[in-house]
Amino acid sequence: MRLSRRIIAATAALTLLAGTVACSKEDDAAGDKQIDVWIAFTDYRLDWAKARADEFNAKHPEYPVVISGYDSYEVLFDAVSAAIEKGTPPEIVQYFEAATQDARDAVNKDGEPLFVSVQAAINGRADILGEPVVLEDVVDAARNYYTTDGQFSSMPWNTSTTLFYSNQSLLKKAKVDKVPETWDEIEAACAKILKLADAPKHCISWPNHGWLPEQAVAQQGGLIADNENGRAGRAQNIDYTSEELLNFVKWEKELYDNGTYYYSGKQNDWDGPQNAFAAQEVGFLMTSAGDATAIVGAGKDGGFDVEVSRMPYNGDVPYAGNLIGGATLWLTADQGDAKQDGSLAFMQFLNNPKNAADWHKTTGYIPITKAAGALLEQEGWFTENPYQKVATEQLALANGTPAATGALLGSFVSIRAVLTQAIEDVLVSGADPVERFTKAQEDAQKLLTDYNALYGG
Amino acid sequence: MPIYPLMLPLFAAVTLIGALVGWTVWRNAGLSGRRGALVVAPAGFLGPLLTMVPMEACTFEPERTGLDIAVGIVAFTSGAAVLIAATAWIGRALSKPGGWANLDDRAEAGSFRGGAAAAMALLLPTLAVLAVFLYWPLFETLRLSTQLTRRGNPIERFSCVDNYTELLGPTAEWWLLVPLAALLVTAVGAELARRADKVGSGLLAPRLRRVRGWLTVVVVIAAAASVFGPSYRSVFLTTMILTSGTVLIGLAAGLGIALLVSQPIKGRAIYRTLLIWPFAVSPPIAGILFFVMFDPLTGIAGHVFEALTPWDMPNYRTDPVLARGLVIMASVWKTLGFTILFYIAGLQNVSTNMLEAARLDGANGWQRLRYFIVPSLTPITFFLVVTNVTYAFFEIFGTISYLTEGGPSGATVDAMTSVVQSSEWVGDGAARSLVLFVMVLAVTAWQFRATGRRVHYGG
Repeated sequence: MRLSRRIIAATAALTLLAGTVACSKEDDAAGDKQIDVWIAFTDYRLDWAKARADEFNAKHPEYPVVISGYDSYEVLFDAVSAAIEKGTPPEIVQYFEAATQDARDAVNKDGEPLFVSVQAAINGRADILGEPVVLEDVVDAARNYYTTDGQFSSMPWNTSTTLFYSNQSLLKKAKVDKVPETWDEIEAACAKILKLADAPKHCISWPNHGWLPEQAVAQQGGLIADNENGRAGRAQNIDYTSEELLNFVKWEKELYDNGTYYYSGKQNDWDGPQNAFAAQEVGFLMTSAGDATAIVGAGKDGGFDVEVSRMPYNGDVPYAGNLIGGATLWLTADQGDAKQDGSLAFMQFLNNPKNAADWHKTTGYIPITKAAGALLEQEGWFTENPYQKVATEQLALANGTPAATGALLGSFVSIRAVLTQAIEDVLVSGADPVERFTKAQEDAQKLLTDYNALYGG
Repeated sequence: MPIYPLMLPLFAAVTLIGALVGWTVWRNAGLSGRRGALVVAPAGFLGPLLTMVPMEACTFEPERTGLDIAVGIVAFTSGAAVLIAATAWIGRALSKPGGWANLDDRAEAGSFRGGAAAAMALLLPTLAVLAVFLYWPLFETLRLSTQLTRRGNPIERFSCVDNYTELLGPTAEWWLLVPLAALLVTAVGAELARRADKVGSGLLAPRLRRVRGWLTVVVVIAAAASVFGPSYRSVFLTTMILTSGTVLIGLAAGLGIALLVSQPIKGRAIYRTLLIWPFAVSPPIAGILFFVMFDPLTGIAGHVFEALTPWDMPNYRTDPVLARGLVIMASVWKTLGFTILFYIAGLQNVSTNMLEAARLDGANGWQRLRYFIVPSLTPITFFLVVTNVTYAFFEIFGTISYLTEGGPSGATVDAMTSVVQSSEWVGDGAARSLVLFVMVLAVTAWQFRATGRRVHYGG
C-alpha cells in the first residue's frame, strides 16, 4: 500500500516536471517568430481575441500569434515592466486611453522608446502579408485621440463613449414626452418623476469616475491641461478649477443635495449605478456605451423600455464634442522587419471589417472603421438595434478641437483619482466646490510635475 | 558622502552617546566602563553612515527646509542607535566568559561541541529564504522610499526624503497640549503621592499611576498624529480607530460568547462549530458579504431595519462614522471565530477549584469573572491581542477594499489602504509602508511592555 502510494507520488512529480520542461521547450522553439499579444481582458473578450488569433494562425502559420490575458491594466503593465527588465517585451501590448502618454514615454532597458508608431511602421503600404491595411479607415474620434505628433501612434481596438439611458416606461408615467438632452431638461424631467405617487427614491445616477466630468468639460469646449490638452506639446499644468469643470461639479452637487442624484457611495463604481437603474431606483443613467447591450437587456428583464441617447450637455454653452474611452494596441520596437510585419498584419486582421463588426456585436464597443459600420448597416443590424448606433453618431458630432479630442497627461490615472476624491468630498462631506477643487488642483499638479520630472526631460 | 557643517556636532553627539552607553552597559555587567566606552563610541560614530551614505547626506544640504533636516536627524540618529545597540549587545556578550553563548536566554544557552559548521549548513536554506524574501525587500523598500519612481517603467530619480516630508507637517494642536498638560499634572501628583505614602498602603498613588499610564498612551498617539500633515493624519487616526475598535470589541465579544458556550447547554458542540465558521472566510469575502447585506438600495439589512423601525436605513457609504463602524463590525465578525476558539480552550484551563473557593468566599459572578477568570486568561488574551492587532493592521485592507474602497471621503483609508492606493507612485508607497512598519514596531513594543507584564502563565 505504502509503496504503491510512493510510486504514484513519484510518477506524479515526474510528470509535472516533464510537463514543465516540455512547455518551456515549446516556448523556446517558437520564440523567434512568435508574436506575443498581451491584453487586459480575461472574460469573453479574451476568448474572442483568441479565436481571432487562431484564425490568423491558420492563415499565417509562419507567425504564430499567442494572446495572453491579464486581470487589469495595472497587472498587465507590471508584467510588461518585468518583461522589459528581462529584455523580452511582448510584440503587441494593449494600453487604455488614459495611459496613452505613459505608452509614449515608456522606455526599454536601454532607455530607448519602447513603442514605435503604427502609422510609421506601416509606411503607406496598402496591405501587409496580404491583410488589407484598415488604419486609414478608423473613425475620426479615435484617430484624433490617438494621433500624437502628427502620427497615428497605435492601433485602436475597443472604443466607447458615454451615453444616456432613460427608463421610457417611467417617463411615460410622469408625462415627460421627450428624453432630456440638456442639464436643465434633466432637472425639469426629474422634478416631474420625483413627484409621482410611486416615485423612485432618486432620479438619476452615474459612476463617480474621472471620465464623466472630463466628458462634461469636453462638451463645453473646456481644457483640463495646458498646451492644448497636451496635444501641442507636453502638458505642464492641470486645470481643475476651470469654469467648465466647476459648472458640472456644482450641478452634480445640486442634484445630490436635493435628492435627485443617487451616489452609490463608491468611487469608480460602475455596477452600483447600473444596478440602481436596473432595479428602477432611478429613471436615468449615464454610463459607458460598452454597457448598452447589458442595460437594454436589463430593461427587458425588468419589464421596462430603455431609450439610449446622447450624453446630456450644458445647454448654456456651445457643444464641442464627446470623448472616447477604450484602448489601443501598441507595437513594440526592435522586432525586426519580418516579425514586425507579422504583428502589423495581425493588428489589421483583428480590425478588418468583418472582425470589427463582429467585435461590435459581441461587446457593444463602436465599429472602429467606417467599413465595419457600412457592413453592419448593410446587414440591417442598426435597423434591428437602433440604439447601437448612438455612440458612433455622438462621436461624429465632435468638432475636432483639442477640447473635444481629449487630454494627453502623464500619470493620468492618479490624477483622475484626485478628481473623483474631490467630487466625493463635495457630495458627501459637503466641501465647497471651489475650495475643494483648488486643493485638488494642487494635488493633481504635483502628480503631473513629478511625472514630467521623470519623463519630461 | 559629502559632509555638511550641521553634521559635525551630530557626529560628536552620537559618538559621545555611544561612549556613555558603552560605559553604562559594561559597568552594569561588572566590566571595565572605560573599555565599554572605547568599544561602543566608534559604533556611535560609524552608525549614521548606515543611513547617510545611501542618502548622500542630502537632508543636510544648505538649502534644505527645517522638516528635511528633522527627518535627516531622525535618519542619522536611528543609524547610530542601531549600531550602538548591536555593538553594545554583542560586545558585552563577547567580553564576558562564554562569548556568543551569552546572547541566548539563560535557559536556552548552549554551544556546539564540534563547532557550528554543520548547524550553519542546515540553517542556510532558511537564512537564504529570510534574506531573499524578507531582508532584501525591506532594504529595497528603504531605497525606493528615497526615489521618485512610477510603477510600470524603470525610470528612477533620487528625491531625498521628499516622500516622507509630504506625509509630515507638525502642528501643535489642542488635543495634544491638553493631554500633555494633564499628563504632567498627573505625573507630578503621582510622584508627590508616592513620597507622601511611605508605607505603600494608600490607594491614591497606584490610581494616579494607572491614570498616568493611560495618559501616556493618549499623548503618544496625539503626538504621532500631530507630527503628520493633514492628509496622512486622517489615515493615522483611521488606523488607530479601526485597530482599537476591532481588537477591543472583538476580544470582549469573543470572551462573552466563549463564556456562554462554555456553559453546560444542550448541543454546545454544534454552537461552537457554527460560531467558529466565519474564521474560514477571507477578509475580502467578508467585505463583499457586508457590502451586499448593507447595500443602501437592495441590502437585506436595510429591509430588516425598515421593517422593524419607522426610519430609513442610513447609508453607510455616505456617512464616515457608520462606514468606520461597519468596517469594524465586519472585521470583528471575521475574527470572532478565532477569538472564541482560543477563549474556549483557555476557559477549560481555568482552575475549577479556585472558582469553587471564590464562590464559597461569597464572590458573585462579576467578581469571579473580574478577579479570577480574566486574570487566568491573560496568556490567551496577550496572544489574541498580538494576532488581532496584526490582523487589524494588515488584513482589514481586504475588507475595506470591497466594502468602502476607503470612502466616504477617505474616512476608511487606513495605513495599509493608503499604501495600496499609492501603488502607481512606488516611492511614495514605499515611504508609506515604512511609516506603517514603524507604527507596527511601536505598537508591538508597547504591547510587550503593557500586556506582557500582566501575563500570568501560572506555576
